Amino acid sequence: MPDVLLSFINLIPVTIAQSLIVAFVVLGIMIPFRLLGFPDLTSEGAYPLGGCVTGVLIASGYDPVFAMAVAACAGFLAGSTTAFIHLRFGINTLLAGILVMTMLYSINLRIMGRTNIALFTFDSLFKDLNPANFNDPWFKIAVVGTLIAVILAALYYLLVTERGTTIRAVGASPDMAEAQGVSIWSATILGVGSASLFTALGGGIMVQSQGFADVNMGFGILINGLAALIIGEAITGRKTVLRQLLAPVAGALAYYQLVSLCLSLGLAPADLKLATGLFVLIMLALPALRRGGGVPQLKEKIRE
Amino acid sequence: MLEVKGAARTFYPGTSDERRALAGIDLTLTEGDFCVVIGSNGAGKSSLLNAIAGKLKLDHGSILIDGENVTRLPVHRRARFISRVFQDPMLGTAPTMTVAENMLLADLRGKTPRLVPGLTAERQALYRDRLAILNLGLEDRLDAPVGLLSGGQRQSLSLIMAVSNEPRLLLLDEHTAALDPKTAATVMDATIRAIAEFGLTVLMVTHNMSQALECGNRLIMMDSGHFQLQVATPEKDTLTVPDLIERFHVKSDRMLLQA
Repeated sequence: MPDVLLSFINLIPVTIAQSLIVAFVVLGIMIPFRLLGFPDLTSEGAYPLGGCVTGVLIASGYDPVFAMAVAACAGFLAGSTTAFIHLRFGINTLLAGILVMTMLYSINLRIMGRTNIALFTFDSLFKDLNPANFNDPWFKIAVVGTLIAVILAALYYLLVTERGTTIRAVGASPDMAEAQGVSIWSATILGVGSASLFTALGGGIMVQSQGFADVNMGFGILINGLAALIIGEAITGRKTVLRQLLAPVAGALAYYQLVSLCLSLGLAPADLKLATGLFVLIMLALPALRRGGGVPQLKEKIRE
Repeated sequence: MLEVKGAARTFYPGTSDERRALAGIDLTLTEGDFCVVIGSNGAGKSSLLNAIAGKLKLDHGSILIDGENVTRLPVHRRARFISRVFQDPMLGTAPTMTVAENMLLADLRGKTPRLVPGLTAERQALYRDRLAILNLGLEDRLDAPVGLLSGGQRQSLSLIMAVSNEPRLLLLDEHTAALDPKTAATVMDATIRAIAEFGLTVLMVTHNMSQALECGNRLIMMDSGHFQLQVATPEKDTLTVPDLIERFHVKSDRMLLQA
């Protein structure tokens, strides 16, 4: 077997572990984008926010679970701030996300007091559960996999309840939802807030897995997450709530294996973002190209 | 049950585009009233409906439903009393959600949604029965996304959704205007049956003068934010389309075309 393939195969478990953690971020991108019709960029700031908060608290001697809980709350606050800016001032959702993401960069630096913290010598979720073998990728896969399975099951239950149906209605048709007595404010704040909660949680788990927190860890996470989501939706489809919920996990798993394969085949890491960007562009452009010819109507309408 | 007192709203005040959409309107509907509003474009019909639904804020005046002052309540808080069918079939339903989910949303209108499963077997059976009344086969398509339905089917669904749970006040905003004549007649027929069956209080805007004369017990004609004419049965029953055109100087070509 050629060496390149061997190195790819050897990396499979590590890559799975990594992609399950990023699946939280992809979930955090999917919820506003697909369920609420609220294209949101907050994750680029919420992911390092979760990492920084978790890193600082763990390095200060707090319990990893407590640290992650605080990080999740901070994430919720970040997401609901984006939602509030859009709702209260009528600022475009993407712009609101960019504002929050940019401001979070300073906040993250303030939280950590420096650009990165090494966490190798401190406690972590993985060390707590399995002190002897905490760095084993299969063990990480089991822990993170269980966590995301529980979260997806809970989300699925919530989304098909009476309350969850009204929240999805806001994404499907805001006018209709409002006329049926659904508060667009509370659904949007709750939904976008929870999405950033999951993103921050992903950041919190990631820093414990990689052993350090860095303010720049969010750079490019959004486009990676979007690429993963698009692949995931191609695998699972979007017809039902369940399929839509499974797409982030399926997509993250497939996307990171693909990246790993490309890298082992000789793609320069420096070109990775360009390659990812082109991939997302092609996937998004495909429907327009298939229709052939003319300039298409803007399909993903952005809520004013 | 509905009292509109001195409702006034001016768009773009102080500019050359200033337009009085509502010029201090008083309207009282009693239980069971079916009131039809006609008037040319820009007469203030939609503004009146939007003001009652909460979509349009008033400069002056107040709106009371069942004696409760709702003037300051947002749209979603008024949904407890009011249901509405829009002119655009796309607005009244959620296209990516299924027929059953749309019915559930209407079912939950004005209630506090709980954290319990929404589409129970009993509810699905109930929705199947409610949809069967339409005779459009929608009862067999509960799990189909509403976006796959035709405009007429969607509007019929909107109507069933609007009358389910017997709202205190039903607002119909030219709800057959975007449909082809045959479908429009079917939807209008279903509307009249539903209103009669549940004894609903209705405010309906239309451009169609013969429709305005055929249904309802009250007729209001609006012009530049005023009520130009108000009649009720039995006087309303004696009116004819030529009467309306002659006596009240109808200016709108669209109304003449549809007469």
